[in-house]
Amino acid sequence: MADEDYNDLDMGYEDEPPEPEIEEGAEEDAENINNDDINGEPIETEEKEEQEQKEAARKTSKYMTKYERARILGTRALQISMNAPVMVELEGETDPLEIAMKELRERKIPFTIRRYLPDGSYEDWGVDELIVEDSWKRQVGGD
Amino acid sequence: MFFHIVLERNMQLHPRHFGRNLREHIISKLMKDVEGTCSGRHGFVVAITSVENIGKGLIRDGTGFVTFPVKYQCVVFRPFKGEILEAVVSMVNKMGFFAEAGPVQIFVSNHLIPDDMEFQSGDMPNYTTSDGSVKIQKDSEVRLKIIGTRVDATEIFCIGTIKDDFLGVINDPTTI
Repeated sequence: MADEDYNDLDMGYEDEPPEPEIEEGAEEDAENINNDDINGEPIETEEKEEQEQKEAARKTSKYMTKYERARILGTRALQISMNAPVMVELEGETDPLEIAMKELRERKIPFTIRRYLPDGSYEDWGVDELIVEDSWKRQVGGD
Repeated sequence: MFFHIVLERNMQLHPRHFGRNLREHIISKLMKDVEGTCSGRHGFVVAITSVENIGKGLIRDGTGFVTFPVKYQCVVFRPFKGEILEAVVSMVNKMGFFAEAGPVQIFVSNHLIPDDMEFQSGDMPNYTTSDGSVKIQKDSEVRLKIIGTRVDATEIFCIGTIKDDFLGVINDPTTI
């Protein structure tokens, strides 16, 4: 699936005010695709950065843990295997996990990680904000 | 009585519906799931008039599905005790007759039909007054009062009466 078709999906999620979720179950990664309905057009990256600044200071690590990475790759690969639209240009890849890894490398996974802290509060981190380190210590992200 | 209320529902969405049409998919699935259903608490959902907002999705572990909390306005129909309704007779037998007011079925027992109306059997069973001026049969329209409701989780059933002033047949299909 062409990447530009879904720009709005992974760009759109920053511009929502953080709102408490009244869901049961300690789900970590909130899906954000839905927010593309709030802004019909894909918003620009600059706008996104502004929103990021406004967010309250977060104190957890800006590195994605290997557990988060595993869970995100697993969930995303599962979704891709269930026909979810792929957010990156494919070059012949067919394995869902491989596609998920490519999406993560290009930081196009439209998820938000909800990190619950011991006191029950949480911080939301977009997958594209976190620095990902793979098992060979290669880093992606973190600009 | 009809109400226009705001309801909330968690919609599970399959990953194949993600993408730019996600909102449309959620709304069409919501309409398919909700319209025409009956809940004991709110009554029959007649129609969804608008979707107020679709909240942040939550990924379900293990399935890859995403749950969206959706707030929507809808028209609901809930019958109440003592309410006057107009209904169409759907079945007549010697125990009384059944009438339908939209989605709700109402039974009117022969004890709650005026005493001067008698049951007439035949291929078109009906209740007729002794002088034959008023006749209740299938497809007659009657005005009735609800005297009891039974509310299940997924069904509402009513008992009605026409043994009261201004109740009874409001038009007769045979005379039109």
